[in-house]
Formats: sequence, structure tokens, C-alpha cells
Amino acid sequence: MIGLHRFAKVSLRGGLLALIGGVVTPAIALAHGVEIKSRSLSAVQIQATYDSGEPMAGAQVQVYAPEDPETSLFTGTADEAGRYLFVPDRPGDWEVSVRQAGHGDIAVIPVSEAGTLAAGFTNTTGLTALQRGIMAGAVAWGCVGTALYFRRGKH
Amino acid sequence: MHIPDGILPAQVCVGGYAIAGGVTWYALRQIHKTSDPQAEIPKAALLAATFFVGSSINIPLPPASVHLILNGLLGALLGWYAWPAILIGLFLQAVLIGHGGLTTLGVNAAMIGIPALMAHQLFQLRHQLGQAFRPSWSLGIFSFLSGAMGLGLTVLIFFGLIIFTLPSTLDQTTEQTALMALLVAHIPLIFVEGIFTVLLTLFLLRVKPELLES
Repeated sequence: MIGLHRFAKVSLRGGLLALIGGVVTPAIALAHGVEIKSRSLSAVQIQATYDSGEPMAGAQVQVYAPEDPETSLFTGTADEAGRYLFVPDRPGDWEVSVRQAGHGDIAVIPVSEAGTLAAGFTNTTGLTALQRGIMAGAVAWGCVGTALYFRRGKH
Repeated sequence: MHIPDGILPAQVCVGGYAIAGGVTWYALRQIHKTSDPQAEIPKAALLAATFFVGSSINIPLPPASVHLILNGLLGALLGWYAWPAILIGLFLQAVLIGHGGLTTLGVNAAMIGIPALMAHQLFQLRHQLGQAFRPSWSLGIFSFLSGAMGLGLTVLIFFGLIIFTLPSTLDQTTEQTALMALLVAHIPLIFVEGIFTVLLTLFLLRVKPELLES
């Protein structure tokens, strides 16, 4: 008797739901109409590498918009080649922070009114081969000079 | 193993400078107390150059490349002179080749220099604890321990500093995984530095044993 009563309640609730579904469904189906627009934007691609030349694969990237250096606008992960792509939507100095295992750097990328930036922009001022050569020579000379100092013995 | 600019919070950088300043004052005071403070300067200069060059050699061990530090070696051979040698070496590395940074110079000096000073204390223990062995064995064992301990301690301080100052905006798990991978990559290097210290001290024992007594 109790089971029959419960069955009656369930079937009544089911019927009510079916009725509401039948009325509402066409409206929801209409709301699922999709429109796709397109426009072209200038994207910025960064590539982060260690100073040994190895890419920072999987490094965490955070992008800060010009007027808000506290909260990152985009966050993501660099790909296998250490690359990350984002689209700046306003002019100004965009800051990109790349970090992995306690290593990292921050690049400031200037974006102009037209949304463009210098081709091949880089924030690092790497040493030229000549600078490296002079430095290595200076260190080698320091080692040779000190070694000679020890060889001369005590006077 | 150098911490670059922009990784640590400002308070930690200031704290690093405070510690480095205090240790510099104390180390120079200890050096000044020796009978001839200038006598050790050429040796310190030679090893500062070795430190500079050694730290510039990258060894590719994924996920990052690692490089020699040689702070245990410097500590064992130079004693208190290791501190100014490392400080000058780190300053030149930051300015010339971009290893580390100027805001983190104090932190890096403390992270690399203090283990070097501890390595020296360990190296000196060979006079007491190494009596049971032949002199060359005793020197070899304590050289290895000093060279390995110097870098090992530096690695631990580096990971402690990075882990405890991870910004909340970073994905903690990803960064911790990358840090663990880097920690594992440094284990072979700890042995390499220990062995390198042994080879150098045994060579000095043969050709110029007075250089081993600082």
C-alpha cells in the first residue's frame, strides 16, 4: 500500500517534469545558436632559454598588463621549445615573467599604439664574442700571473 | 645555483645583504689577526679566478644545466680568505656574465660563502680525526667531505630559500616538481666536486704541501 502510494507520487513528479521540459526545451535550443566572428590581432611570442641555450620547457609564464603590474592577466606554461604566445590588447609596457626551478627572468615588452613591437625584440644584452674573448683572456692571464708568482719562490 | 634578480622577495634580499655584511666584517677581522695577512692573497686570487671560471662551465643535466661551484674547495684551501674570494667572484659573475644578480648578491654570498667556511672547519678536522689514517688517506677523505659538503649545503640552502618564498601566483606543484628535478641533478655534481677537491689537494700535497696549511 505504501509502495503504491510512493509510485503514484514519483509518476506524478515525473509527468510534471516532462511537461516543464517539453515547454522549456525549444526556448533553450534556440539560445544555443552560435555565431562566430573573426578579426586579426597581433600576438607576441616569447622564447625563454637558459644561458646554456637550452629551452625552458614547461616553465611557468605570467603576463602583466601595463597598468597593473601586481595581478597577472595571463598565466600559462611554455612549450617544449620554451615558447609562449599571448595577445596584448592595449599599448604600453607589458611585463612577462618566466620562472622554473628557482631560475627566471622578467622581460618588459613595449607595445605601440598600433599593437606592434620591434621584430625580434629581446630584453637581454648578450655578450659579444669579442667581450667573451677579452674576459676569458683576462681570467687566464690572472691564473698564469698568479701561478708565476708562486713559482718565483721566496726572495 | 646562483639566484637571479626578481626571484626572491625584497625582505630576503635585504636580509642576505645584512648577513653577508656581518660575515664580511668578521672574516676580514679574522684575516687581519693573522701574522702576515698579505701572504695568502695570491692564493686567494688564484682560487677566486678558478671559482669564476668553474662557475661559468655549464654541464647539461636536465631539466636545467648545472655548473661547478667549487665553494667547498675554496673553503678547504683558503679558510677565511674564501669569503672575500667568493664575494668578489660573485660580484664579477653578476656584472660580467649575468649569473646571479646585484639585488641577490648578499643572499648568494651567504648561500655559497657560509658553506665554504664550514667546509674549512671540516677540512681542519683531519688533524684530529684523521690521525688513524695515513696522511694522504686522511687528506683525501677530508678533502672529499669538504668539497662535497660545501656544494651539498649550498644546494639545500638554495632549495629552502626558493621553496619557502614561492609566490602564491605560481603553480606550486609544478615549481616544486621542477625544483626536485634540479635537486636530483645536483647529486652527481656533489660527488664531482668532492672528487675534484681530492685530486687538487693530493696534487698540492705532492708539489707544494705548504699551500694546504692556511
